[in-house]
Amino acid sequence: MIFRLAFGSLMARALTVGMTILAIALSVALFLGVEKVRTGAKASFADTISGTDLIVGARSGSVQLLLYSVFRIGNATSNLSWESYQDIAARSEVDWIVPISLGDSHRQFRVMGTTTAFFDRYKYRSGQSIKLKDGAVMSDLFDTVIGADVAATLGYRVGDPIVVAHGLASFTEHEDQPFRISGILEKTGTPVDRTVMVSLEAIEAIHVDWKSGAKIPGKSTPADVIRQMELQPQAVTAALVGVKGRLQVFGLQRAINEYKQEPLLAVLPGVALQELWQIVGIAETALIGVSGMVVITALIGMMATIFSSLNERRREMAIFRAMGARPRVILGLLVLEASLMAAIGAVLGLVFLYVGLAIAQPLVDSAFGLWLPIDAPTAREVCVLLAVIAASAIVSLVPALRAYRLSLVDGMMVKI
Amino acid sequence: MKTLLFLALAVSPAVAEETRQVDAHEHGVGQLDIAFDDKQIAIELHAPGADIVGFEYAAESSEDRAAVDAAVAKLAVPLDLFVLPAVAKCSVVQASAALESEDAHEEDHSNHDKEHKDEHADHADHEKHEDESGHTEFHAEYLLTCAEPAAVSEIKFAYFDVFPNALELEVQVVSNTGANAFEVERDNPMLDLRGMF
Repeated sequence: MIFRLAFGSLMARALTVGMTILAIALSVALFLGVEKVRTGAKASFADTISGTDLIVGARSGSVQLLLYSVFRIGNATSNLSWESYQDIAARSEVDWIVPISLGDSHRQFRVMGTTTAFFDRYKYRSGQSIKLKDGAVMSDLFDTVIGADVAATLGYRVGDPIVVAHGLASFTEHEDQPFRISGILEKTGTPVDRTVMVSLEAIEAIHVDWKSGAKIPGKSTPADVIRQMELQPQAVTAALVGVKGRLQVFGLQRAINEYKQEPLLAVLPGVALQELWQIVGIAETALIGVSGMVVITALIGMMATIFSSLNERRREMAIFRAMGARPRVILGLLVLEASLMAAIGAVLGLVFLYVGLAIAQPLVDSAFGLWLPIDAPTAREVCVLLAVIAASAIVSLVPALRAYRLSLVDGMMVKI
Repeated sequence: MKTLLFLALAVSPAVAEETRQVDAHEHGVGQLDIAFDDKQIAIELHAPGADIVGFEYAAESSEDRAAVDAAVAKLAVPLDLFVLPAVAKCSVVQASAALESEDAHEEDHSNHDKEHKDEHADHADHEKHEDESGHTEFHAEYLLTCAEPAAVSEIKFAYFDVFPNALELEVQVVSNTGANAFEVERDNPMLDLRGMF
């Protein structure tokens, strides 16, 4: 009975009620959307590297090592000498080791020197291997394999020549040694997409005619001569290491961290990722805070509409009272109306969210490499929705109590 | 302690290319590494001497020696320190614990130790490697085997009850789902591992 009354009353004021519901729906959609982006970003982030037991580089911080070796953000403090690299590679615990040599660029993309083992060993999204979309891994000294974003942005195809620039933001290019694209990788949603990969020897090769960062004028070693040269690197930037047995990870980590000959650092990628996320996580808390505020604003807006409607509904309330409705019924009616509005708003917000996700998912994936899964609402999200409805019931108590008191007074007044 | 440490470094051997590095050492904070592999669990603990016995000078008096021996004996019983759920049916395969000084690997300490004022008389029977000029660390390694390793959903750290000076353990865990880091503090001596299987 009271439910029908509440529903009818809402229908009678369809426009104002509709606007209030829309505000609640949008705020709920925003809140849940932020939640989805947050969890999606966290998962994508954690999925950047898997299958690697340790990342080894010069001693700095674990977050910094992770940033430059995996995310290609920032630079190494120092390099890892080839002798130390060989020492680590020779240890009995080490199953495989993949060197990474950074420092050159191609247009806006970083060039990474590595071995072909990288393509077998680098894993992402819980154990997925990187696959070639086109072509093959490098087989010649001047072959490169490029990530999906590099190919898409610069419009490259297999067989195209490319020139690698010295340093990261420099205009001096290694023009004498143009590379040929031998393969293009499938999109992974990891920094590999934005990387140009060459062999470790190629990094040495392009620096043959360079002394202390500048090109020796008039000197240009032909590619054939370079091929004959010993292209043993002096140092690499970092190395990815896999151990034979998981139980040996910590022993190897400690041995590398206490390596006397060179200050080195070995980190577990998962641990470093988590540390990094703790830093990024502050922004995450801020985002939740802001979207929470939006929900609160919408609820206060609803309270305001109920308040302003009280005046125009004075007559209605008086009639209810005259018909024998207790003041409690008036109170219940208003709270029920508010809860109904919030419930409809919450459901509508959920609809907005899923429609929005369906539209945004492919766009966000291609633009940011961020995969937002479309799943059923989690328990946490259902809790949020219920909390919104409960909060609206509590908020509506303020105007409802006023109506409760007014209906008593109005009922006793001779004239309204 | 700092000046002594400096002294130790300053009088260190005359080899010019010798690398000098001193590891970070924070009293109250130990490291615990846990690796899960199939039915085996390897645990490694590194804790400052201050956490375990309350001092880091060389144990000279019989009391101090007894304290060190008692601590090593306690550290050799991992399941009393790190309580695993009974349903996991874990048993200890191997456990070892020892006290080591930070510069335990260097041989030339006896030379400059003599410069310190009072303790040199006892150096002859200095069987442990501790050195009053450096920090000491307890190191323990355990290998456990569990019938139901997936049932290790949490670890209760009785460690903090056994060693009242310990405040925190920095925990690294690797399992087949990857690696993760946790901090376990005296106030909440529990490690939730449900996400690791």
